[in-house]
This record gives sequence, C-alpha cells and structure tokens, in this order.
Amino acid sequence: MTCPSRRGDTTLLLDYAFGRLARRQAALVAQHASECIDCAAALLEYSSVSDALDLWEAPPVSTQFNRRLWDRIERAAPAPWYLRAAEWFRLRSLKPAVPVAAAALVFAAVFFFDHNVRMANRPATVGVSAVEADQAERTLDDLQLISQFDAAVDPPRPARRL
Amino acid sequence: MTKGVSSVVSESPSLDPDVRLMLQVREGDETSFSVLVQKHRNAVVHFLHRMVQEQAVAEELAQEVFFRVYRSRESYEATAKFTTWMFRIATRLALNWLRDEKRERAQERLDEAPRAKVGADELPVRQIADQHPTTEERMLYNARLREVRDAVAALPDKQRAAVLMHKYGEMEYSQIATVLECSESAVKSLLFRAYETLRRRLAHMAREGAE
Repeated sequence: MTCPSRRGDTTLLLDYAFGRLARRQAALVAQHASECIDCAAALLEYSSVSDALDLWEAPPVSTQFNRRLWDRIERAAPAPWYLRAAEWFRLRSLKPAVPVAAAALVFAAVFFFDHNVRMANRPATVGVSAVEADQAERTLDDLQLISQFDAAVDPPRPARRL
Repeated sequence: MTKGVSSVVSESPSLDPDVRLMLQVREGDETSFSVLVQKHRNAVVHFLHRMVQEQAVAEELAQEVFFRVYRSRESYEATAKFTTWMFRIATRLALNWLRDEKRERAQERLDEAPRAKVGADELPVRQIADQHPTTEERMLYNARLREVRDAVAALPDKQRAAVLMHKYGEMEYSQIATVLECSESAVKSLLFRAYETLRRRLAHMAREGAE
C-alpha cells in the first residue's frame, strides 16, 4: 500500500478514522498505520476529532412537529371555489354590493314570475277574435263568389226600346 | 454540469425506496408523505440544528423543507436520490438563514446593541450513559461540548455543511457534492480543510483525554 500521507491522500485516512471504510480496506490502512508513524499520528488526530464531534448530540424533535407540518400544508391548500369567491368579495370590500345584487335578483325573479302568471291567466280573446275575423272574411268571400255566380247564370236583360 | 449528471446517474434513484414513496406522493398518496416525514425528520432537524445552532429555528427550517417537498410533489422527477434532493433544500435554507443572520448581527454590531448569545448557554443536557453524573463531570462535558459547537460554528458555512453531512449524515461524497453543487474533489478538499481546522482547535481535548 502506498503511504497516503506521502501521496497527500487524506481522504483514505479520514474515511478510516470516521469508520467509513469497508472491512478489507480498513485492514489495509490499519496494517499500514502500524508501520508508518505519519499515518498513525494523522489517524489518531482525526479519530480524536471524530470522537469530539460524537459528543454533540442534537436534542429530540418536538412532538408537535408532524401536526404543525400538516396544519401548515392544510392552510396552504387551495380553498373550494365558493370560499375563494367569498374571500374575493371580502378582499375587495364589496359587502354593500352583495345585498344590492341579491335585491336585484329577487326583483328579477318576481318580475318573471308575475309575467308568466299573467300570460297563463289571460283570457283567449285574441284567439277568438282572430277566428271571428277569419270567418267573416270567408263569408264575404263566399257572398262575392255567389254574386259572381248569379251574374254568370242570369245575365242582366238589355233595356227595352221604347 | 457534466459532473452533476454523472453523480446523479450513479446514485441510481430508481432503486431508492424513498424515491418510490415520493412518486406515490406525486400520485396523491398522503400516507407515503407521512412515512417520508417520519423517516427523515430527525436527520433533517438534527442537521439544521447543527448548522444554525438554534433548535426552534432548526425546526422551523425543517418544516419549510418538508413543506417544499410536499408542494413540489406534482413536479417531482426522480433524477437523484430523495435524501440528496431533500438535503439540498435543507442546506440552501440553512445557508440563506446563516447569511441573513450574519447580516443582522453585523447590523447589530453597528448599532452597538448587545445581543444575548444564543446557543452555548442553552445547551441541551446530554443523556450521558451514567444516570447520575457528578456536577464536575457535567461541567466538564458542557465545556467540551461548547468547544465542539464553537469550533464547528467557526467553520465557513460550506465547510460546516460538508462536515455535518459527512460526519452525522454519513452521506457519500457524491451526494454531498450534489447537495453543495460542486465536484466530488471539491468536497474532499472542503472536508480536508474543515477537519484540519477542527483538529487544530480541538487538539487539546485529545491531549486531555489521553492524560
């Protein structure tokens, strides 16, 4: 094994000190360190750094962590369309417009209802008079036809000479 | 960019069970998302805690990480390991927070308004194997822990992120490279410099331990 210290390859020594090498490779480094003062010294120092860092344990995570996360996700979720519409009105301070719009809707509904009721209850006078006019016209036509017929059958006599 | 692609491909995302869970989340399965949160929340919060050294901030940032993961579920593409993608989000958030924090501190220094130091004096009490450590042992432990925290906090932000992912996250160099958006050799260089700094700053602890 080429000396890592001489090669300037500290990664191998670091990996050994931090326990990141496979068993076979670690055995090779250990074997080399037993014969190389420089590498043995470097390993000792890196191991002491690793041990010192092991002292630092992070505190446990709050038990509320998951709940807070889901709360946040729910808050950020898009609201249904009707709530967004309500929010839109609220944000634009259109509160006065809402009763006006509602009143207009009620007025329109009443108007159309009333109109329909009137149309339904109106007597069929228009229809009857139309039939009468039609009958009268047809009668007149018939009379005219009869008079034309009479004229054709019985022509007027010439005036007597005196 | 070529590096990024090769490292991503080498991570074989299709074999990653988390990726499969995330693809189910994309299809609307919220249970899979709960599984992912449960599985990774400790790693994310602990990473962020060591980055920003404030537990409340770490949890807030972790919430943001998982919220962003959920929010982008519909556009999620399995191009890398899930943890790589998640830690990329976490690292960006932490680095942004640290940048803003530094700016704030600089402003406060300018304003000469002393700010209560948060962190060192609010250390969580470690659960030491010995159920009843003596006061002296506790004080010694707290002093050492403070030194470790200060030493890590003094590292440049990127070096610190690399160390935390390497040491505590046990992530591969390729993963760390993808998260930090640099080459694998750059990560090794970052780690070497960081551990050299830590070795110098914490050398006396090793000596004390040997005595």
